[in-house]
Amino acid sequence: MLDKLKADFDRIIELVNKAPAPLQETAFKMILEQWFNANTAPKPVPPPPGGPGAPAAPGGVPDAVKPFLTANAITTEILEKAFHPTGPGAQLLASSIPGNSMANKLVNLSLLLCVKQALESASFTCTLKALRELAVHYDCYDSPNFSATLKANKNYYKPREKGADLELSGPGLKKAGEIIKSIAAGE
Amino acid sequence: MDVAQTLEDVLEELVSIQKDVNKLKTASVSGQALRKRVKDANKKWLPVAGLLEAGNIVDTAPLQEVSDAWTAMVKLANGASPKKQYKALLKIIVTKTESELLHKFIKGSAIQTIGDTLRKLVQPIADPELLKYLDESIRCAETKCVRASVVLAWCAVAHMVHKKLTSLGIATLNAEFSKMKADKGLMFRTFAKDYVFSTGPDMQEAADAHLILLCRFLTYLDDTQYKHLKGALDLRNGCGHPTGYQPDPVKLQAYYADITQLVLLNPKFA
Repeated sequence: MLDKLKADFDRIIELVNKAPAPLQETAFKMILEQWFNANTAPKPVPPPPGGPGAPAAPGGVPDAVKPFLTANAITTEILEKAFHPTGPGAQLLASSIPGNSMANKLVNLSLLLCVKQALESASFTCTLKALRELAVHYDCYDSPNFSATLKANKNYYKPREKGADLELSGPGLKKAGEIIKSIAAGE
Repeated sequence: MDVAQTLEDVLEELVSIQKDVNKLKTASVSGQALRKRVKDANKKWLPVAGLLEAGNIVDTAPLQEVSDAWTAMVKLANGASPKKQYKALLKIIVTKTESELLHKFIKGSAIQTIGDTLRKLVQPIADPELLKYLDESIRCAETKCVRASVVLAWCAVAHMVHKKLTSLGIATLNAEFSKMKADKGLMFRTFAKDYVFSTGPDMQEAADAHLILLCRFLTYLDDTQYKHLKGALDLRNGCGHPTGYQPDPVKLQAYYADITQLVLLNPKFA
């Protein structure tokens, strides 16, 4: 493996140099992490049957989520501070949701739930039922303003009918990335 | 009909009516438009009230109280009536609907689907001994006994931990406990208990907290995994003793996700 790393190293550095200077360190770390993921021999899988809903081994970030992580400079270490495990069966680790108002917290929660769902099934969606349940749990459910809050932040979600599931838009994915980083930073 | 959505819509409208009533400079509410809005909101409320009454998620008393307040408010809306009476009724309807009906309904409907979610998490488990505890635990959750569910699910964890540690042999186990006691590392230096077991079942006398610490010592768990398992044990202890803590279905789901991943499906415990 070391020989292969030596052979690939120059190309990795070449790629890192294409990133803006302040992001080069993060880019290097992420590319190297991806390289190790791709080139490390897979560990023997334990025999138990893994059904469709079975929790994956820790660290098993689904491929569909990786572009989101790369685009937002989120390393596995950062992700692990917000979700555990970082694959199917993911749970939100935060004991409280970041935000300075109930509405703000609700929106942030919805974005985090979409990422949680993506870790589960590769789609950045969340049902309103799940959002309400978690909002009650995290004490940010303001029922008379629930719909209005989501409507006021509709740019974070793809267009939808009233009562339909939420799906993250481009700005929503970006904002979700920021929230994950702020949780990881302990803000 | 989406009950939660409809209740949110009704509340949104009531809060708006409440604001408009408060803004009135007159002592009574006489405007035709405002009175019509009260009646329209009531039309939205009635089918939801029927569904809530037919289901068994919310308690009958607050539902009756809110229904009575609606009846009284619709009577007020038949003519010009004192603003003070509107304000009192609106306050009852809004607060009770929110806390006693809607929040309870959301938690209750989470309970109705919790069984499926938990079964999905434990689906890969094949050990009949574990499934015995887990099945009973899930049935508790489905009947709103969340604390009982937490305690019973921990029985499956304890069973698996005991089985794994017993498989080491009593002599090794005693030796490992002694080594852990002698370890002055950050994680183990507070462990000061002497355990000397003669037979496998003796281990059941040991505190679960010490057994999982030994699992950490034996590197079946890393620091983060140990921390989360300790959190699950704390929840179990909170639910198995008289405390005021009442976990909700969201907490139960997270607890299940942790124990399955950390122990029940962890190959190191196989």
